[in-house]
Amino acid sequence: MNIKDLPEEDYFTSGHTACAGCPAPAIVRNMMKIFGKDTIVYTPANCLLVFSGTYPYLAWKVPYLHEAFENTGSCISGVARAYKKIGKKALVVGIAGDGGTYDIGIQALSGAAERDEDVIYVCYDNEAYMNTGIQRSGSTPYGASTTTTPAGKKIPGKLRHKKDMAEIMRAHEIPYMATLSISHPKDFLNKVEKAKNVKGFRYLHVFSPCPTGWRFDPSKSVEIARKAVQSGMWTLYEAEYGEITGIYKPKKKIPVEEYIKGQGRFRHLTPEMIEELQRWVDRKWKRLYGEEP
Amino acid sequence: MIFLAIFSFAIKLILHYHITWRMYEIRFHGRGGQGGRMAAEAYALAAFLEGNYAVSFPFFGAERRGAPVRAFTRVDNKKIRIKTQVYEPDYVVVLDETLIETEDVLEGLKEDGMVIINTQRKPEEVKLSKPVKCATVDATSIALDILGRPITNTSILGAIAKATGKVSIESIEKAIIEKFGERLGKEAGEKNALAARTAYEKTLIGVSQGGKAFVPRKKWLPDVNEMPVGGATPAMKTDAGLVGIGSFIENKTGDWRTFIPSIDKEKCIGCRFCWFYCPEGCIEMVDNKANVNYDYCKGCGICANECPVNAIEMKREVRT
Repeated sequence: MNIKDLPEEDYFTSGHTACAGCPAPAIVRNMMKIFGKDTIVYTPANCLLVFSGTYPYLAWKVPYLHEAFENTGSCISGVARAYKKIGKKALVVGIAGDGGTYDIGIQALSGAAERDEDVIYVCYDNEAYMNTGIQRSGSTPYGASTTTTPAGKKIPGKLRHKKDMAEIMRAHEIPYMATLSISHPKDFLNKVEKAKNVKGFRYLHVFSPCPTGWRFDPSKSVEIARKAVQSGMWTLYEAEYGEITGIYKPKKKIPVEEYIKGQGRFRHLTPEMIEELQRWVDRKWKRLYGEEP
Repeated sequence: MIFLAIFSFAIKLILHYHITWRMYEIRFHGRGGQGGRMAAEAYALAAFLEGNYAVSFPFFGAERRGAPVRAFTRVDNKKIRIKTQVYEPDYVVVLDETLIETEDVLEGLKEDGMVIINTQRKPEEVKLSKPVKCATVDATSIALDILGRPITNTSILGAIAKATGKVSIESIEKAIIEKFGERLGKEAGEKNALAARTAYEKTLIGVSQGGKAFVPRKKWLPDVNEMPVGGATPAMKTDAGLVGIGSFIENKTGDWRTFIPSIDKEKCIGCRFCWFYCPEGCIEMVDNKANVNYDYCKGCGICANECPVNAIEMKREVRT
């Protein structure tokens, strides 16, 4: 599927209150164009919940609900089963942030995946709890400065590497899982369309740079997402029942240093720390591509 | 004789501190990301450096970068016990001039109060709900020149020092270097102090025009019979406008922006990349050419950055 094949009809309207330059509204708007009008959307606590509506105003044009932070997996399971029971065909989608997926929501998510519920789970990953003011999450990469891992004289930002959530979900051997980036539209749309047509539990993991939390110029959101893919910080691949069926390999691998340039959260990184981040990328690269970078 | 002189001096001092010195309050109107909170804090620090008591705090809500926000500062020569928001300010500071169009920033302003506005206009050209003492400065241009980013909080501090005369510009500079230097590095601190000094010198003081009418926005307050079951709200037309699903379409976010995209229709190849990437969904395709709906555009500049043929240019928006 190409950009030109996308329908004009929007199910996520303009007028939402996301920060200027936030790619999350573009991600959900384009996903919703493919999912179509017979979709029910669930969001737990995250930025998307806040900027897509403050009661009684709402940007969604489809049935939409939200519950507590940790139960995206169980809520969408319940909604999907209720629709099955009344015999209506509907696509149930849960859209959680990285905090609601990596940390707080992992138990309900894992349960729903294991039961193979007929739902789509979308994680939009901006690598920290942005909604509450940039606290570190399991997704925050090594070295990043957040409000709970501030870069100071003694501790230079977060000391642990990013958790590989996509691999955790692949290990659940679900019918379909994929990692996406807004910077690669064709790949993005194909994966969303595929997810729509597969039956069973589907997991989509979208990379979503945050201009406010990562401290970069709002116009660079897509460019930074692209650099993340090119450097190997973010790998685009898809898997069916635990087997990798497609993996995107950047034509030219750029060093991590080029990716972190212009991001305020990495400004304090020393050459040794950049090397450590590069080593992590190279390890991940070797594991996923099965070859030396 | 000497005793009398000392006595009268002491009386004067007491009068000065306890009668002529009264607490003053400032309310900052800004947009998330412009640094209204930092401005309120830095001002409090400057007042503190001059030996006063000062507090500052923002209004907390679900604000995002670009949405209207408020912050408050209180200064006194004795301990401050009052903890509420500022409802009757002595000074109102407006960091973004689009805000004077949408809400009455003078709400609750004291009789002899003053308003300080970031605008390219002169005080006499500013139209508010009533004529008040008004100071203006083009803080956005100063910030763009000196800092390279439209973050106006430090420039406006210089204007406050000039307009109110309550705190010296030297204390403001010291506070900025301390507050911003600590967070962003020494060089950034000094640059911000320079922005304040430049604004201090460029501030114009006068009296605003009055007579602008504001219609307060109506709220949808359903009674128990009108309230949908479980709060589930279908799209409904009410006196307060559209509510329910899809109703955010009535929330025009166009006044958030500083920069405005302009599309060269000759160059546009109709590739739809900007249409795909635009977070606001405000790009429409007309005859296979991109067209911006300025009602919603927040001016992020992703379209200009991603256009493969450089047909989109971001310009500083001049509001009239």
